Amino acid sequence: MKSISSFINREKSAGIIFCSPFIIGFFIFMIVPMLLSLYYSFCDYNILSPPVWAGLKNYAKMINDTRFYKAIGVTFYFALVSVPLRLIFALLVAMLLLKTSKLTAMYRAMYYLPSIIGGSVAVSILWKRIFAVDGVLNSILGIFGLNRGFSWLGDTRTAIWTLIILAVWQFGSSMLIFLSSLKQIPASMYEASGIDGAGKIRQFFSVTLPLLTPTIFFNLVMQMINGFLAFTQCYIITQGKPMDSTLFYTVYMHEQSFSFFNTGYGAALAWVMLGIIGLITLVLFATKRLWVYEGGL
Amino acid sequence: MQKQRSINFFLRNLIVLVLGLIMVYPLAWMVMSSFKDTKLIFTTAGSLWPETFVIDNYINGWKGFGKVGFDVFFKNSLFISIVATIGTIMSSATVAFGLSRCNFPGRRILFSAMLVSMMLPAQVLMIPQYLWYNQLNWVGSYLPLTVPYFFAIQGFFIYLIKNFIDGIPRDLDEAAKIDGCSFYGIFGRVILPLTVPSLITTGIFSFMWRWDDFLSALLYVNDSAKYPVSLALKLFCDPGSSSDYGAMFAMSTISILPAMLIFIFLQKYLVEGISTSGLK
Amino acid sequence: MKKSMAVITAVLMLLMSACSGGGGSSPSPAATQPAAQETSQASTESSAGASLIVSWWGNQTRNERTQAALDLYTEQNPGIEIDGQFSEWSDYWNKLATAAAGKSLPDVLQMDYAYLEQYVSNGLLLDLTPYIENGTLDVSNVSESVLDSGRVGDGIYAITIGINGPSMFYNKTLLEENDITIKDNMTLDEFIDKCREIYEKTGYKTALPYNVDLNFTEALLRGVGVQLYEENKLGGAEENYEIYYGLLKMGLDEGWHISPGVLAERAFGSVEQSSLVYGSSPENMSWCAMHFSNQLTAMQNAAPEGVEIGITTWPTADPKLSSYLKPSQFFSVSADTSNPEEAVKVVDYWTNSVECNEILLAERGIPASSVVADAITPLLAETEQLVSVYINEVVSPNCSPINPPMPEKASEVMASYKAIEERLAYGETDVVSAAQEFYAEGNRILGGN
Repeated sequence: MKSISSFINREKSAGIIFCSPFIIGFFIFMIVPMLLSLYYSFCDYNILSPPVWAGLKNYAKMINDTRFYKAIGVTFYFALVSVPLRLIFALLVAMLLLKTSKLTAMYRAMYYLPSIIGGSVAVSILWKRIFAVDGVLNSILGIFGLNRGFSWLGDTRTAIWTLIILAVWQFGSSMLIFLSSLKQIPASMYEASGIDGAGKIRQFFSVTLPLLTPTIFFNLVMQMINGFLAFTQCYIITQGKPMDSTLFYTVYMHEQSFSFFNTGYGAALAWVMLGIIGLITLVLFATKRLWVYEGGL
Repeated sequence: MQKQRSINFFLRNLIVLVLGLIMVYPLAWMVMSSFKDTKLIFTTAGSLWPETFVIDNYINGWKGFGKVGFDVFFKNSLFISIVATIGTIMSSATVAFGLSRCNFPGRRILFSAMLVSMMLPAQVLMIPQYLWYNQLNWVGSYLPLTVPYFFAIQGFFIYLIKNFIDGIPRDLDEAAKIDGCSFYGIFGRVILPLTVPSLITTGIFSFMWRWDDFLSALLYVNDSAKYPVSLALKLFCDPGSSSDYGAMFAMSTISILPAMLIFIFLQKYLVEGISTSGLK
Repeated sequence: MKKSMAVITAVLMLLMSACSGGGGSSPSPAATQPAAQETSQASTESSAGASLIVSWWGNQTRNERTQAALDLYTEQNPGIEIDGQFSEWSDYWNKLATAAAGKSLPDVLQMDYAYLEQYVSNGLLLDLTPYIENGTLDVSNVSESVLDSGRVGDGIYAITIGINGPSMFYNKTLLEENDITIKDNMTLDEFIDKCREIYEKTGYKTALPYNVDLNFTEALLRGVGVQLYEENKLGGAEENYEIYYGLLKMGLDEGWHISPGVLAERAFGSVEQSSLVYGSSPENMSWCAMHFSNQLTAMQNAAPEGVEIGITTWPTADPKLSSYLKPSQFFSVSADTSNPEEAVKVVDYWTNSVECNEILLAERGIPASSVVADAITPLLAETEQLVSVYINEVVSPNCSPINPPMPEKASEVMASYKAIEERLAYGETDVVSAAQEFYAEGNRILGGN
């Protein structure tokens, strides 16, 4: 009895016991399916019949697949444009909402609302209506005499931007995270720099921003991953049209797996994406030392 | 000087307000459209305000499908979201504590595994997970939608709570240890009560994510009487046969109410709960 | 401390047992069904106490009627429990595929011509021939050609539950107002003349089925005696594929075809957003739309006040060759079902019961059995009667057998076709190159690469 209790009370054991839900869950619900999916990526598999081993066939196919490269390009473009925009808006608006007034709660709600409902089917349909040829955006432009009947969703240059705007529109969640970080910067910091003669803008760059870097990092990593994995909006709004200019990687994967029944190939695509995201995350973590302030408050 | 200040104040408020209205416009459009005759929604897309307010969409939409009304769908969503959220809070807090306060071999690996779990596209796991759950005989029940959440599979929340715990000074731990508390005691008596804001945040986010999830329900819930709202909404839009957009917008409007209400009432916890002072 | 851990564990266990007890405490009428399903999986007896799963895709109307028809069946056949499962079109196929992988297909499943071949070749559907021969499935009132449409190889794997035919819907009101007449069984050249005439006189453009699927192209090919899909390759020669691409290009160049940008933003296959009934000006609207007959009601409902939708045949080089009767949907039985007898009986009920079809009222198309079709015609609403007349008097007497079911790689071929079509529409390729490219790609895909 005594040795058991001293065992579980040791730091090492306690740590493992506390983390056990995740350890167990990860194994049961993730590792097993992941390994299965890895296996499929080396098979000819069409879901309807059992998989047949095919070696590196799927991966070789990828090398010559122009749509694969297109999908990667589009997804990268989407992530690398929408994420920074999101973070910038989130930070700016967070700064604007810092001074609490009676209306702040209402404003916070207004900005956060899009994030709550963003993933829904209704919003995607809505979005199509906004950017349609005879849609809301063109009507509003018409008020200023600028309506050219432009087809935002039908033009390869602008279609992807409708999706980017949709993503950026939902910056509310990032904003909240920034808000809470901003609130934790003690006023004393600002006072101190104020005494040293720093103006508002200078303060922002030398006090606020550095102290915010851990939060920015966290948001950046999270949003990047989500950006690469974006699916629903593209699936419902554009399905990759026009001419694959909005072909998100996950949508391409889904199409291969479920519409074309090339599920083995879809699995291979998934693993390549996992590898890419993993690499990018590693790179981000590696650069952490260079720009993230580790000193804490 | 005074004038400068009030101009700034005015400008700042104006920008915030205008931007806010733009942000909210699409939503307002959806809500307003739900009060328009379903056939007119797209033809009058440019005008926000309905010419005549009709509540037909709400009546039609509420009827639901087959014999199942939306009240059942809502009950289902509530059940799934609440149970999964409870599971998430409990397990994520536990794991977060372990990662934050205990040093043990494999800690770094675990942390990386946690990050990896956040990077997996749902599609990667979709078919294998289905086959696996099929083996376990869980398909056709709510088990795949609830049980995994008791095992902290969402790294995001572990990360969130862990950061919060990191920000709690270790002196409190030390003091408790001196008083003879084990790790378990520290967790239950000291840390847990202090992490309540982040737990509430976790709860809010988790609830909303579970509420919106339709992919898992699609695969694992076969009986239409057990469909959650997220899946039921998709049934309104079958291409190739009449789609009742009005009813869909109406039901969508109702379905975002819980999330909105939660947010409005628990707003300050949301902000408090995301303490990032310990982000390293 | 240990106490609270114990409490937590206890709560967990309680929750888990509640969950596994059949989906938790949600008050649903189907709470007993998971238990019933389990026992039926284990048992092999077919009469007393069988539980079947029937699945379909559709909208509210179809769901309500189908559910009611199934309820009637269970009333008339005590001891049989039916669990009706439905989803929306694209979700349906995702789910079905995953269920197939997990060997848990529904007992009776709604099937489509586009997927039939695939499901059969992977051994997922039950051959119904023995049941036809022993009388469980009575198809005596179903015409040979309709029955054949569910044939793959030597067996019958699907029974038609609704017949429709290719139909061009058009804005009858618009044409009447401008004294323009069209006739059934138009040829392609006559059609092109009409498009030009209508554009000149009214400003309304035309919408070919741009970026939708290959159905219209297939019909155009039939019109010149070519079958789209042959064994592991595309039928015909390269030049044949210039027909549709050429038509599209001509329309765009001459100005009577709607701009692709406008069409790109419409929801795929949605009747409400068809340019026949929806658009802000004649520039964005079409006087016609290529569809199938069972969509007439939906189209008429979506049409603006005062606009009457007419129905006629698809224009091709030879309408008799191209026209056909198509099963809009089938019911198939899963090869793995533990209650084949009972499942087949449901299909028989669907085909032959007049009461059942009085509930369904041809929502999926004309019933396969001529007896049933005749019985319900008087009950149909006006537009559905129009459809009935169209099928029986315009299409049936002047058509040819339907092409064999689409092969496994059909969706990939279609995607390739649409991508090339898009490039053509945006001016990035020309008609001849487009046809060449598609011919090469299509053959490559079907050939197994």
